Amino acid sequence: MSTTSGQAVAAGRVRAPRPSAAERLTRAASKLTLPVILLLPAMTIIVGLIGYPLVKTVWLSFTDTRLGDLINGTSTWVGLENYKEVFTDEQLRTSLINTVVFGSACVIGTMALGMAVALLLNQRLRFNWFFSLAVLLPWAVPALAASSIFKWLFDDRYGFVNWALVNLGFHHFQDYAWFADRNSAYVAMFVVVVWQSFPFIALSLLAGLQTVPKDTLDAASVDGANAVQRFWLVTLPLMRPIIAVLVIFSTIWDFKIFDQVYVLAQGVPDRAADTAAVTGYREAFALGHFGTGAAIAVVLFCVLLAFSIVYVRLIGKEART
Amino acid sequence: MRTPKVLLAALCVAGMTLAACGSDDNKSSGDKASTTAAPAKLSGSVSVWIMDPGSPKIQGVLKGYATSFEAAHPGTKVDIEFVPWAQAHDKFTTSIAGGKTPDIAEMGTTWTPEFADEGAFEEVSKPPSGQYVSSLVDAATLDGKVWGKPWYAGSRALIYRKDVLKKAGVEVPKTWDELLAASKTIKAKVPDIYPIGYTGLTEHMYLPTIWQAGGQIAKQDGDSWTSELNTPQAAKAIQFYTDFYKEGLTPKAAIGWEEPDAQTAFINGDIAMLIAGGWGYNAIIQTKPGMESKIGTTLEPAGPSGKDTAFAGGSHLVVFNGSKNKDLANAFVDYMLEPANLNKFTGEIGFLPGTVAGIKASGYLDDPIRKPFAEQLLDHSAVYPPSPRWGALEGANIFDGEIQKVMRGKQTPQEAAENLAKKMDEEFAG
Repeated sequence: MSTTSGQAVAAGRVRAPRPSAAERLTRAASKLTLPVILLLPAMTIIVGLIGYPLVKTVWLSFTDTRLGDLINGTSTWVGLENYKEVFTDEQLRTSLINTVVFGSACVIGTMALGMAVALLLNQRLRFNWFFSLAVLLPWAVPALAASSIFKWLFDDRYGFVNWALVNLGFHHFQDYAWFADRNSAYVAMFVVVVWQSFPFIALSLLAGLQTVPKDTLDAASVDGANAVQRFWLVTLPLMRPIIAVLVIFSTIWDFKIFDQVYVLAQGVPDRAADTAAVTGYREAFALGHFGTGAAIAVVLFCVLLAFSIVYVRLIGKEART
Repeated sequence: MRTPKVLLAALCVAGMTLAACGSDDNKSSGDKASTTAAPAKLSGSVSVWIMDPGSPKIQGVLKGYATSFEAAHPGTKVDIEFVPWAQAHDKFTTSIAGGKTPDIAEMGTTWTPEFADEGAFEEVSKPPSGQYVSSLVDAATLDGKVWGKPWYAGSRALIYRKDVLKKAGVEVPKTWDELLAASKTIKAKVPDIYPIGYTGLTEHMYLPTIWQAGGQIAKQDGDSWTSELNTPQAAKAIQFYTDFYKEGLTPKAAIGWEEPDAQTAFINGDIAMLIAGGWGYNAIIQTKPGMESKIGTTLEPAGPSGKDTAFAGGSHLVVFNGSKNKDLANAFVDYMLEPANLNKFTGEIGFLPGTVAGIKASGYLDDPIRKPFAEQLLDHSAVYPPSPRWGALEGANIFDGEIQKVMRGKQTPQEAAENLAKKMDEEFAG
């Protein structure tokens, strides 16, 4: 096919006189007109909704802007001053480290639980439809509502968690204040975030598991592989592309997590458990330091951009293979 | 064929005359109105943001205002939205930054100068002296101009469980030392209740202890402010406040409590003493009426300086600059401030009216249980520095973090005082 059409084009070129540069330009422009017109509505929306706020945030991050400056448009250019503050101020730097450490822990937790649930659902148990539905429920609860509910579950005096732990014999948890300490607050927040984000991962992995050819698995068991070996040596390698994509997805979600931390980390002493998204919000909207808040947002944006590039690369690789 | 046309023409003429008559009518009624000096007819709608102090009655009272106002002025609509205090400062900042403010809002007295400085409010004419509680007018004044009308005021005092104190065999504490001693006795003798609800996130509980220790929070020099927290008095106050937590006299979780959490704990019978305002007292007995007979009230305990000063809080009603219907907004504000309406509100919620006449009419000083709240406000209270920067300091909770660190033993009270002074000065410097 391609060779014949190539020959035809080549033949055409020989016969027709070579078009002038101007002519070629008009032809190229007219070729472009329709796609541009078709893309214009979408482009306008994207530029308006994403482009403008992004550019404005980046610009703000190089200025000293207070609330009044924002209203009157009187910001002062300070160059990299805000970024210097982000990386030298102890609280701001801690929030970035919190984001990376807590975010990564949540990704690992979500993937592990998601995989476990996916493997269970793949077992074709009775009432499987019911379990699939039940698994979806946490995902359907708004993050803010879930966080408030968990705040109650982890309440020191009236919470279910302490009650259950004490009844299981852990008397240490009598009136245990989960949010009075950074580490225990992170345990509680980890539970909330993983509980909310595993359903999507589980169902995506389940879809992936169902594409693993049964023949290959049967062949492996004929060769004497046990269940664990079949999982590690057959299922997992075949699922690698989808797992990679899901890990990147979760990373992007868990690094910019806001609602759960905003609600649950509020009372943690010295706001030591805040993540970058919450700290950026507070810098801007509680302290009125819009420049610093924007700088934190831009740093977070760059980190997530790096992950997104990896994601796009992976997708591209998928498409080629 | 002709008749209908004639008919139509006749109808047209009739219609025109009717219309003319109608407009005539309007004009004459308009003239009448202006001769009786009534304001222009109000129409349209306004949105109002009101702070919710955790009172079960506030929504009913405010919605009642809206309903009766709408009935008195047909064609108007008043939308009232309630915002919890803890989120309010962020919410105002966001709305001002985004140009999406309500028409009217209740503004905490310490925030009015901050947002007025950004040009967010309509100026109000200076009230004659003696009409409002003067500290409330001062708090609304920036650069000689007034930016909000005082609505109500309130001070916190000490409320306690009479039955628990009796069981422990302690007297009502009048000083810091007595409070600490009483708390230790309660802990020993009534083990199922914590002595006091000093929290990590309520600056109105701990900042006044600096005054009680004989210190100041900041001092003004012309237009600029400098922190006064790096002093032995402030360190002593922080030491006093945080010792209750360190010695287990307050629940472990209280380090992350806001004021309503402490109130809930008091209602649940988890704590025996609490620094609370009249509105808190009202909310407690309205939520749990059986508690009324068990609660006593008294002034805040006096510190080593002999002072028992509390924070004089309160609210202004402001009209935002961005309001599209300022006539209606001002009319509704004035309606809320009419004596009968004001007293209904302050009486039900437990505040003191922001008007001098209102306080006299409130009967607070004759009611033994409410008298300490009124006395505390009138004679034993002070205000935070009315700097435009103060609101941001509060909004960011810069104080809480340092106090919490001392509670957890991560730094000494002296270090906290130094850090706070530094943070305050940075913020004052802009």
